[in-house]
Amino acid sequence: MKTIKGLLLKDLYVFKNFKGNIIFSIVMFLFLITMASMQIDVFTAGSILFLIFFGMNSISTFSYDENADSDKYLLSLPITRKEIVKSKYLFIFLNSFLSIVMGILASLIITLLIRGKVNNVADSLRICFLAFTSVSFLMCANVPCIYKWGVEKGRMQSVIIPALFIFLIGILGGCLLILFPEFYQKIDLIYLFKLSPIICLLLNIFFYSVSYWISYKIFAKKSI
Amino acid sequence: MEYNLEVIDLEKRYQDFHLNHINIKLPKGKIIGFIGENGSGKTTTIKSILNLISYEGNIKIFGKNNKELTKFDREKIGVVLDDSFFSPILNVNDINNLMKKFYQTWNEKFYYETIKEFKIPCNKPLKEFSSGMKMKIKVLCALAHEPKLLILDEPTNGLDPIFRYEIIDLFNKFVSNKENSILMTTHITSDLEHLADEVIFINDGDVILDISKKKIDEEYGIIEIFLEDLKKIKKEDYLKCLKYKNTNFLLLQSREEFKKKYPQLESRKPTLEEVMLLLVKGE
Repeated sequence: MKTIKGLLLKDLYVFKNFKGNIIFSIVMFLFLITMASMQIDVFTAGSILFLIFFGMNSISTFSYDENADSDKYLLSLPITRKEIVKSKYLFIFLNSFLSIVMGILASLIITLLIRGKVNNVADSLRICFLAFTSVSFLMCANVPCIYKWGVEKGRMQSVIIPALFIFLIGILGGCLLILFPEFYQKIDLIYLFKLSPIICLLLNIFFYSVSYWISYKIFAKKSI
Repeated sequence: MEYNLEVIDLEKRYQDFHLNHINIKLPKGKIIGFIGENGSGKTTTIKSILNLISYEGNIKIFGKNNKELTKFDREKIGVVLDDSFFSPILNVNDINNLMKKFYQTWNEKFYYETIKEFKIPCNKPLKEFSSGMKMKIKVLCALAHEPKLLILDEPTNGLDPIFRYEIIDLFNKFVSNKENSILMTTHITSDLEHLADEVIFINDGDVILDISKKKIDEEYGIIEIFLEDLKKIKKEDYLKCLKYKNTNFLLLQSREEFKKKYPQLESRKPTLEEVMLLLVKGE
């Protein structure tokens, strides 16, 4: 566990390098949310913006590692390949999670201060959780591509592979709709939306587990 | 004899390169210099030892297969890699904080004392340091967790002569307890003159000479002669010949034997650089 903590700390030091930009961006976001809140309720949108802007930053740690060829050095220390991959996923998850939590808290406080109340908190949180799951999907599709092709070479695949997944799911959904229209009529979307936190939780576990397994298999065989 | 490192029949094939049956036996208390020109297979050997690439053959560290080493075993290995380290945005303090997490035996006191001795600023990121300064930190990181085996890939690259002298002294002290060992690759052969107990010359993936430094110093010889004198010397009486401008350099396996056959010709002890040059470029 101590090693994992060290690896997380290593990635956190990368963030420390552009702390000025991060602070500036946070201030800008808070300002924008405050301004927008004066006109409309931006609780959900503000939280999701925070997640998208800050939650996906963790991919940049791969670039820093690649530029310094750090993995080679780390593997010469008492660190295993499994620990390196594990720490990356943990960092990505924690970064996304903290980003959405920060986004929710900031948007909540600002909305309460300016508008006095937040409409449909439960539904807004469900939407945030859906957004978090979408980001998890994108990140989990990205990481194996980075392990396979590197940050630069994997850039294209990182876009193509998730897009391909979404396209296939769309096709599959379309086929099912044509083949079994009565099945779709029976689906209660409101009920599904209510259940979405559980579905999202399961999807997150699925995305992270499958992605970690693929990345580890790639990294374990990789010549460094 | 007990060995800290044994490389047995190491083989690695790339499309355009073949590391061919490398054997290294590094006893406790000894330093082996692994010499060769760029692209000769030194780093591939180091990568194999560190289990960073797949290979054929057998590599044992502290008597165990290198694929079965525990974390505790790996804590006893110190490594310097020429082209790989932490991200250059980290500073000396960050590195200390990380190494403390990675090594149970991390000696923070030694680390900071040596940092002070080397006059390295603690808050500056690595990217603002010269390559020599960075190398100092790499070497320090390899030593500060009190290892028993040092694996050093070009550790004196980019260092000024004064620090090279200091570092060589540090390595000599490291092996003086007769328990620790060093495997060091370099193409700056002069560093090994007063350091190595044994030298292995590698060229294009093949070991071309594996010899004790003492034997080179006591037996090997070099002679500089003109073409007319060369004609008088039989081919079997020297190992290699290299023509440079108007002079022919001959590498001799035994100065004594040569002296007996050609008493009029004066030979001298060769430097490792001369041995390497003649072995690689000589005919």
